[in-house]
Parts: sequence; structure tokens; C-alpha cells
Amino acid sequence: MPRERYRTVAGREILFDSEGFLWQAEDWSEDVAEQLAAEAGMAGLSFTQWKVIRFLRDFYFENGRSPLNRKIVEGVGMSLLELERLFPDGIKYGARRLAGLPNPKKCM
Amino acid sequence: MEDRLVYLDNSATSFPKPREVLEGMVETYARLGVSPGRGAYDLAGEASEYVAEARAAVAGFFDAPDPERVVFAANATDALNLAIQGLVGPGDHVVSTRLEHNSVLRPLFHLKERGWIEYDLVPFDSHGRVAAGDIDGAIRPNTRLVVLCHGSQVLGTVQPAAEVARVCARRGVPLLLDAAQTAGQVPVDMERLGVSAMAFTGHKALLGPSGSGGLVLAPDLEVRSTRFGGTGIDSHSLRHTQAFPHRLEAGTLNMLGVIGLRLGLDIVLRTGMEGRHRLEMTLIRRLREGLSALPHVTVHSPEPNDDDLPLLICNVEGMIPEDVGAILDADYGIMVRTGLHCAPFVCADLGDCPNGSVRFSLGYRNTEEDVDRALEAMAEIARSV
Repeated sequence: MPRERYRTVAGREILFDSEGFLWQAEDWSEDVAEQLAAEAGMAGLSFTQWKVIRFLRDFYFENGRSPLNRKIVEGVGMSLLELERLFPDGIKYGARRLAGLPNPKKCM
Repeated sequence: MEDRLVYLDNSATSFPKPREVLEGMVETYARLGVSPGRGAYDLAGEASEYVAEARAAVAGFFDAPDPERVVFAANATDALNLAIQGLVGPGDHVVSTRLEHNSVLRPLFHLKERGWIEYDLVPFDSHGRVAAGDIDGAIRPNTRLVVLCHGSQVLGTVQPAAEVARVCARRGVPLLLDAAQTAGQVPVDMERLGVSAMAFTGHKALLGPSGSGGLVLAPDLEVRSTRFGGTGIDSHSLRHTQAFPHRLEAGTLNMLGVIGLRLGLDIVLRTGMEGRHRLEMTLIRRLREGLSALPHVTVHSPEPNDDDLPLLICNVEGMIPEDVGAILDADYGIMVRTGLHCAPFVCADLGDCPNGSVRFSLGYRNTEEDVDRALEAMAEIARSV
């Protein structure tokens, strides 16, 4: 598995972890999200995808942590199964990663 | 989402605990929660007696001859650390398996990294079982310990502990059994199996609280102290007490945990472990059959035997297990474990790295309705692929 590394995204030098998550949520910008989406083969981000990304970021900065599963459902008004389908790479590697939130590492 | 939550993560811990355990803990601790064995007052004596009875109950439950060789610990990981670090030393070799939990792999790796020991891990076959002959073949002249995972928390398979114990006895090497998953689920009779040491936790199938567990030793096994401190006896000496169980216990016992462990044991004995296990195995077969019939779902656990564990792992094509677990939780109220299950070599050998799998593990409260809820949810998820 690759280690964390710096790379240039949307004109900025940004540190990513080994799974492609931003190390610092503050390094994120809309341009960064769009470039990461393009790298994932997405032809831009839709209105609904932006709504999800903005909810995730707002929650993170208001609460100091990522939202729990049910908070996401409440916040975005769709089921997680719908959210999984909304992003080609799913919830973790799609929505959460493009939102620039820290990697939600669990005991693996 | 339905209101009632379905808990299918019993291999991690049983939940919720029986009210009898929780209420009994509060009642008994309120009455006896003094420092056992460390005072001249009657209540300290009563607390000591309670702990001694708890040791006897544990020894009886695991068919161990000497209650004094029941050492209380924080959990199975703690007990395994006590045993591994107390049994091996510089220049020694250890044999274990690729089925092991990190509670075994990490202590072994730590000792190897320090340059103390070498170890070999024997493989498991396509049915998820380790062959006693492979362990025999891995034993060297300087092998001082064999460690065996009794029941795999990933595959659900129970290993041939008696066969391995016979090999170990013939080769003169003690066998340490990790019974974290099997204690309270299937019989773990130390004398019948012939194992030298057995580590268990109280908070899984024994229905006790987290923070409870222990190490049970055969009468002839010498384990060095690896932590030191107050025992309530021989306080004039700076040498740690060598009498069991104090040799491996330092500091005030987790009295609340001991109480909960004993209450959980009582329930397991009273309600009948075998009947409960049979029911859970019927349910896991129902789940397995249902999941196996779903498109885009692959069950990785081997077909279970009657004395295996009521759990299975699976994956949904094109979805990472963590997302499947989140969807089951948020959309269907079903709680499962996802990831590598703290057994990195099992997942690597199954080809499940780096994301692992979704694990469903059943427990004493689960019903056919719970299984059917899980199947309906997984069917909807699979249909979305």
C-alpha cells in the first residue's frame, strides 16, 4: 500500500494519506474536489453531490468531527444506499474523500 | 428504517448484556465493593471469599483442576500477553497459526522485533482449519510454546485443539489456547483437551462486562511474572509474590468485572450453552443460505460444522465492506463488523485485503426475525449493484 505523500492538486501542494484522503481538511477547496472527482473518472460534480459534500464539511467544522451514519441520512435527506450510488466510489472513497474530511479509520 | 435495532456483532462483544448481569453487578458491588484480601475487616474477607468462589466457578466451567491457577485479567488480549511474555525468553521459538488475532500476532512480533524470539505461523486449509501435523512439523528443538486460536473470529471455524494438544504433549511444548471466541459458546474443557493454558474474555459469549477475563493454567505450567506490584500478601518483600494466582495479578482486582463474569457464567450454565449454540448455528445456516443465493454477494466463510461458531463473512461486489456496514446501520438498523477483524493474515490469505469483509456474528438474543431482516437488507443492497 502506498504511504502518505504530497502531490499537486488544483495548483496546491497537498498531503494525502495512503488511501488518498486529505491529511488536513483545511487544504480542501472546490477546485480540489473537482480535480479529485475528475481523477476518479467523474465528469464534474452534480448539484446533489455538492449538497452532500457541503453538508459533510459544514458538519465537520461545526462539530469537530465527521457525522455518524444516521446524521448523514438526516442531513442530506437520502438513504446511505442512495448516497452510495450517487458517488461512483461510494460513501467512504467517494463522498467522504471528495469532501476532504480525514480518513474515517476504524479498527480494521 | 425499522425502530428495533438488530445487533449482529456478537463476536466483538455480546450486547446488550442480560439485565440480570447488570443489576446483579450493581447490587453485589454496592454490597461487596471493597478491596478483596487487603483488610482485617469482615467485608474484605467476604469479598475475598466471593473472588475465590468466582475462581472456582471459572475453573469448574473450563474443567481446570486448580482454582488457584485461574488468573483474572482485563480481557483475552491481556491474558495472552501475560502467558506469552511469561513463557518465552531470549533464544526461544514459538509456533502459532495464520488464523491468529492481533492479540497473539502483536506480542509475538514485538518479542521478535526485540530480538528475543523467532516464530513460525502455520497455514490453514481451504476449510479454515489448521492441521495438527503442520504444527508438529514446525516445532523445533528450541520451541517453547505453541499458541492456537481455538475459534476464528473471521472464519468461524473451531480448531482441533485436542489433536494439537496431543502433538504438543508428545513434543514437550506447552499449548496456549486462545478461547476468546469459544469460551461460553462451545465446550472448552482444559483437561479433556489437554491444553496447558487457556486465555478467555468475559464480555463475549460469557455475557459478562468488558474488562473481565483471565488466564487458566495447568498445575505444572510455570509462567514468569511480567508485571509487579501489590498483591495483599508478603508485603515485606520487594520480590513479587510467586504463589498463584497472585504471581500474575498485580494491583487491586477489577471486582466489578469479577462479579459480572461470575453472573454471566451462572446464566450460561443455567440456560444451557449447548441448546443456545444449536439454535445460533441453525440461524447462521439460514443466513448463509440466504446470502449465498443473492447475486453480487460472496460468502467467504467455509460451510460450518455443528461445533463451529455462529458467524460468517461476506462481500458485496463493487462495494467496500465499510460502506456496506454503514448502509446496514443507517438504513436498516443492523449492526455488523467490517474490515480485517484484527486478523490480517486470514484476510490476506482469503484475498480480502485491504478492505476486508462484512461479518455477521450471532448471539444469545438473536432470532429468526433478525436473520430475515439482515437478508432483506442485503437483498436490497445487492439489487442496487
